Amino acid sequence: MTARPTAPDYSSLDPCVHCGFCLPACPTYLATGDESDSPRGRIVLMRALERGEIGADDAALLQHLDACLGCLGCEPVCPSGVGYGRGIQTAREQLFARRGPSPLAAAVLGVFRRDRVWRPAFTVARWLRATGLPRVLAGGGRAGFGMGMLAASAPATARGGAPGRRLARPSAAAAAPTVALFRGCVMDTLFGHVHDATRRTLEANGYRVVEVEGQVCCGALHEHAGDRAAAESLARSNVEALAGSADWIVVNSAGCGALLKAYGHLLGTEAATELAGRVRDVSELLADRGPRPGGELPLEVAYDAPCHLQHAQRVHAAPLAVLGAVPGLRLRLLPSSDKCCGSAGIYSVLRPDMARAVLDLKIQSFAQADPRPDVVATGNPGCLMQIGAGLRAAGLAIRVVHPVELLDESYRRAKIYG
Amino acid sequence: MSPALIEELGRIVGPRWVRHRRAELKTYAMDGLPTRESYPGVVVIPASSSEVREVVRLLHLAGAPFVARGAGTGLSGGAVADPETVLIALTRMNRILHVDPVRRRAVVQPGVVNARLSEAVAPLGLHYVPDPSSQAACTVGGNVAENAGGPHCLKYGVTTNHIVQLEVVLPDGSTVELGSPHGEPWGPDLVGLFVGSEGMFGIVTAITVRLEPVPASVRTLLADFPTVRAASEAVSSVIATGIVPAAMEMMDRACVAAVEASIYAAGYPTDAAAVLLVELDGQPDAVEAESETVRAILCERGARSVRSASSAADRARLWQGRKKAFGAMGRIAPDLAVQDAVVPRSALPDIMDRIAEIRDRHGLSISNVFHAGDGNLHPNISFDRGDPDLVHRVHVACHEIMAVCVAAGGSITGEHGVGSDKLDYMPWIFSPETLAAMRAVRRVFDPAERANPGKVVPVHACREWRAARGAQ
Ligand SMILES: Cc1cc2nc3c(=O)[nH]c(=O)nc-3n(C[C@H](O)[C@H](O)[C@H](O)COP(=O)(O)OP(=O)(O)OC[C@H]3O[C@@H](n4cnc5c(N)ncnc54)[C@H](O)[C@@H]3O)c2cc1C
Ligand code: SF4
Ligand code: SF4
Repeated sequence: MTARPTAPDYSSLDPCVHCGFCLPACPTYLATGDESDSPRGRIVLMRALERGEIGADDAALLQHLDACLGCLGCEPVCPSGVGYGRGIQTAREQLFARRGPSPLAAAVLGVFRRDRVWRPAFTVARWLRATGLPRVLAGGGRAGFGMGMLAASAPATARGGAPGRRLARPSAAAAAPTVALFRGCVMDTLFGHVHDATRRTLEANGYRVVEVEGQVCCGALHEHAGDRAAAESLARSNVEALAGSADWIVVNSAGCGALLKAYGHLLGTEAATELAGRVRDVSELLADRGPRPGGELPLEVAYDAPCHLQHAQRVHAAPLAVLGAVPGLRLRLLPSSDKCCGSAGIYSVLRPDMARAVLDLKIQSFAQADPRPDVVATGNPGCLMQIGAGLRAAGLAIRVVHPVELLDESYRRAKIYG
Repeated sequence: MSPALIEELGRIVGPRWVRHRRAELKTYAMDGLPTRESYPGVVVIPASSSEVREVVRLLHLAGAPFVARGAGTGLSGGAVADPETVLIALTRMNRILHVDPVRRRAVVQPGVVNARLSEAVAPLGLHYVPDPSSQAACTVGGNVAENAGGPHCLKYGVTTNHIVQLEVVLPDGSTVELGSPHGEPWGPDLVGLFVGSEGMFGIVTAITVRLEPVPASVRTLLADFPTVRAASEAVSSVIATGIVPAAMEMMDRACVAAVEASIYAAGYPTDAAAVLLVELDGQPDAVEAESETVRAILCERGARSVRSASSAADRARLWQGRKKAFGAMGRIAPDLAVQDAVVPRSALPDIMDRIAEIRDRHGLSISNVFHAGDGNLHPNISFDRGDPDLVHRVHVACHEIMAVCVAAGGSITGEHGVGSDKLDYMPWIFSPETLAAMRAVRRVFDPAERANPGKVVPVHACREWRAARGAQ
């Protein structure tokens, strides 16, 4: 191709009037109080990058743009409608094109590019988890935190083990709407029990869940890092695999769901746009059906909204409806429940210090909550592991689960599955 | 900035909290007024009163000037520093230190965000009254420095009426307590002097505020007028009854259009020439009676409709729209010149006509959103700084608007302060003798004028002041 590279487009930042309303919505600004780590400051940097006032190799510029979580917490509060997300994505692609990924990022992203690399890697992690060692070694130090993340990915009850890949039970009536389960990478290996709960709760609400072969990692981590080529290639494989598969594509990982819904924008093809239009978060499909109530679970539950669900997908009410279908469950939103946990794709691996500082604000609000929640519910694997590890490091005995796990448990109590 | 000074600062606050690279300095080069840009020499972000004290002490010994900065939402260029000056950001000092529900006091660090304070004491049935529209972001320290006002200051007074004690680090690094927690000052009222001093007298490191009970009953009315003049006249008529609304705010069509296009859309009528938001609070019976009277007056003065907020959520929505109005103006054009002037309420209708005339003559887009009850105007000019001719016209129009307000017996700022933006206007309303007195007071606190240098009080020769006045 000989197309001339077009100038990066930062026009979505034009409406910024520098009012500062986005500052208190930004987790990194809350963690540091530093304007350079704020949305308004980053917009100043991106505009300077665009105009060539600051070079793409400027260490300070890179540090502060890289420290952005991409959580989009700054977008919904902006009265001027600044498209921060589009701006930072443009910047990431511009910077990636110039410097490529850091060696650590390259290694991590490389793992997720190929099924035959990540599947064995996570399988080993699952074996390690099964030994119970991560639970024992979990702590506040860097290694301990990693162990805590792994421990937090474990199913809450002993029931779940290896992922129930082909558990298919005879399903609802043939006329029921069909749903293809997007399996993903981390979800499919470490969170097989959430896939099982997704399938069971959907079927209990009148959907028919089908398996689709040939899926790969969604590409969100690559897109996030500015590696658009890798994201596009993964997206193309998924569009091919999932085309015409079912009425809906269901996703139970907010991060994957956000990108699948944006495949049309990413690839610009008709097939991708058509597929993206059929993607739903599991909570959306369940909420469409009520969902039907289950048996009693007397628990204090704090809901924590994944950024990629609330900001990127703008799904707010559906997860609350899922939890609302559990009788006896007392649902609360803590002051920090709409703030990023610091996981943000591979951010917590690349920038552990800022990720921890961001997470600490959230953990504090759990520690101070009265009454203290028994369970935190959140619908994204990164958040599940990050918050889980943070709670362990702080010595708080609070479980972290996906909302469908609670609904699943509640259905089990009500003997809905027979 | 000298590397030795940067290193010394790092020793006090930790090197992580000293910012000196060019890209970082650029993010501190503006406040809420994006038309004035100046890179500070270095930014230091202390975590405690004692770190502030040590930093200021060091700067005193080094003879270096400094500027305090809160959230940087100020609209007069106050929190911006030049390359020889150290910028001290107070944003890490964001803890509420103490709440006394019985005596209704709270002690806060300067970086506490205004709205966070009211949220924190809401479970006690209390709130912190001054509510600048920027309250979701601005700091209490910045409010003290600017003597910030807000919609509800019409009835309850501005920041200065709600501050009882301050801990201040003076420009020589010494710490003083001004006022008392009882709010009864003995001797000269130094709290009153400090509040509104725009960072010229030192850095406030702890603030004791009054908290007030949340009113028993609140009624919010939204009135829709066919002309700006009718709305302006209605404001005076309401006040003439002797009723003091908790708030009385006006927005014109251009402003309403911007808000309604934003995520803070409040359901304001977009075909109205102006809308008035009037709030009454107090005991339920009185509120009921007063709102009927106000409603009748608004209708008599030509309101096409008057509606009352139907629920707490509806009321919150009506206020969110008003408070996010400035921000929403980025939808009109990328740059915004926010003006702030006060005129006698009775002059409002004529002034609004004059502003419209200035707008048309220069071919500009002006939206008005303001605290109508106390005559505090904010005519905001939207423009694109890429167009030099337009920038010039905006500049001239700002001058003309200000001159019109001053000629009507008004003042050059209602709540945004003088900073660097209004410096040139000071001689319009103060005599050389008064300005000299201000400067003398400044020197009591800061003999070398190192705190927020070059701002607020012009330092031109007296002859220049006279010449400027003569030109008026
Ligand atoms: C959208 C919008 C709406 C606004 N609405 C209103 C309004 O309704 N009413 C109103 O009054 N203002 C309003 N403002 C202006 C601004 O928000 C206020 O002036 C506010 O008080 C500034 O607080 P800040 O924390 O942002 O201070 P900054 O902008 O950071 O600083 C303002 C001044 O205070 C000084 N300062 C800051 N902290 C300290 C400290 N600890 N000790 C000593 N000096 C200090 C600085 O040196 C500077 O001179 C608005 C601004 C915006 C952008
Ligand atoms: S809230 Fe919007 S307009 Fe205001 S500073 Fe942030 S991005 Fe800019
Ligand atoms: S995306 Fe999140 S981390 Fe990045 S600037 Fe916006 S609020 Fe801050």
